[in-house]
Amino acid sequence: MTSPSELRKDPISGRWVIIATERSKRPDEFRSERWPPRRKPGAALFCPFCPGNEAKTPPEIYAVPGVGASPGGAGWRVRVVPNKFPALTRGETPIRNCRGLFESLDGIGVHEVIIESPDHDKDLPDLPPDHVRDILSACQSRFRSIETESQYAYIQLFKNKGPEAGASLSHPHSQIVATPIIPKRVKEEIFASERHFRRTGKCLFCRTLVEETEAGERIVRANGHFAAIAPFASRFPFEMRIFPRRHSPYFSAAAPEEIAALGEILQAVLSTLKSILDDPPFNIILHQGPHPARAREIWPDIDRIAHWYIEIIPVLIRIAGFEWGTGFYINPVVPEDAARFLRG
Amino acid sequence: MNKILIVEDEDALRLLYEEELAAEGYDVTTVRDAEGALDLLGRERFDLIVTDIRMPGRDGVELITQIVGLRKDIPIIINTAYQSYKDDFMTWAADAYVVKSSSLVELKARIKDLLAR
Repeated sequence: MTSPSELRKDPISGRWVIIATERSKRPDEFRSERWPPRRKPGAALFCPFCPGNEAKTPPEIYAVPGVGASPGGAGWRVRVVPNKFPALTRGETPIRNCRGLFESLDGIGVHEVIIESPDHDKDLPDLPPDHVRDILSACQSRFRSIETESQYAYIQLFKNKGPEAGASLSHPHSQIVATPIIPKRVKEEIFASERHFRRTGKCLFCRTLVEETEAGERIVRANGHFAAIAPFASRFPFEMRIFPRRHSPYFSAAAPEEIAALGEILQAVLSTLKSILDDPPFNIILHQGPHPARAREIWPDIDRIAHWYIEIIPVLIRIAGFEWGTGFYINPVVPEDAARFLRG
Repeated sequence: MNKILIVEDEDALRLLYEEELAAEGYDVTTVRDAEGALDLLGRERFDLIVTDIRMPGRDGVELITQIVGLRKDIPIIINTAYQSYKDDFMTWAADAYVVKSSSLVELKARIKDLLAR
């Protein structure tokens, strides 16, 4: 008897996933399974990110000006501001406090918001690729600035789109959070890559890209600098990873032509995602190496083993007891089918 | 004398804020919910608003977005027992976020700062 599912292991996270191979769900099957909105539509009469409301945000720290822009005022294309009510606040290297098993440190860090467009209703899939490039350039500029301060061990760029994905506001935005410690998941990925490097002398991420390209069936889209794939052991339906072809641990080291190519591929895959899944909620997460000075304390070969990439996770299924308890995920869409739909 | 509107559903806290802020020299008016606040704001002029978030009926976040949608120039302070609303970007309609405590030192300081602007 053939099993209705297959267990697959993700080489990067080391996580096992149950893929429902017997009957893969089609994109239209997810369209009617949406959760109700958290707040009634039309309840908000005010958006702090819309043009004209600049005074309600902290002063901008970076802006891509549009035509006729005035510094700190209207006319911007992309704006970066510190979080008005941040989860972590800037400070010096914190001291670790240990009481027996219980460890703590001051909540220092950076928390910034990238307001991606002046248009409240135009998100990444709707914007032209050159605008997405400008958003990425703004993020890169902020990464470069934060990386000058070694008390921030890790910088995370993420985007929550839709209330189900954690967004509290529909105006297109993403966030940067820099933390004083290297997060556990980041460490796990780099340890996995280090083990692979010790065994083979190669970067795990570069190798993944080579093998995915050879297999071909999970490639969603590619250009000269990037390839978007539906990972072999995708945890979620229509999950994607976008890998830069050039090995580099840091997003901040991407060349202008790579940022432009990323803008093109990111906009294109998100546009397809929007079209086939009727504007789904999603998260985008950028993975990269920790601050070089901090990373070298653990991994002297960090430059050879870390490899930045972008992860896109459509929020279409709920995480429940089995996933929380085991770390196993059950994906009702076979990644090869997901890639076929995402290729359009 | 600066006029402050306090929106707070707990009777004891309304009384506490009224007494403490009046002692600081403010003209204080209190209401128990967002509807009462919007009704009053349609008729009277205030220099600053302090609002709770979790209240029966419309919550404080909806209230402040409605106020700012009508008038952007009134300073607003969110005064809540919960840190978690900081994740909600709609709270940026407010000018300050104070987590409730038994001491009113921070609340009084934020009121003073915002009225001095």
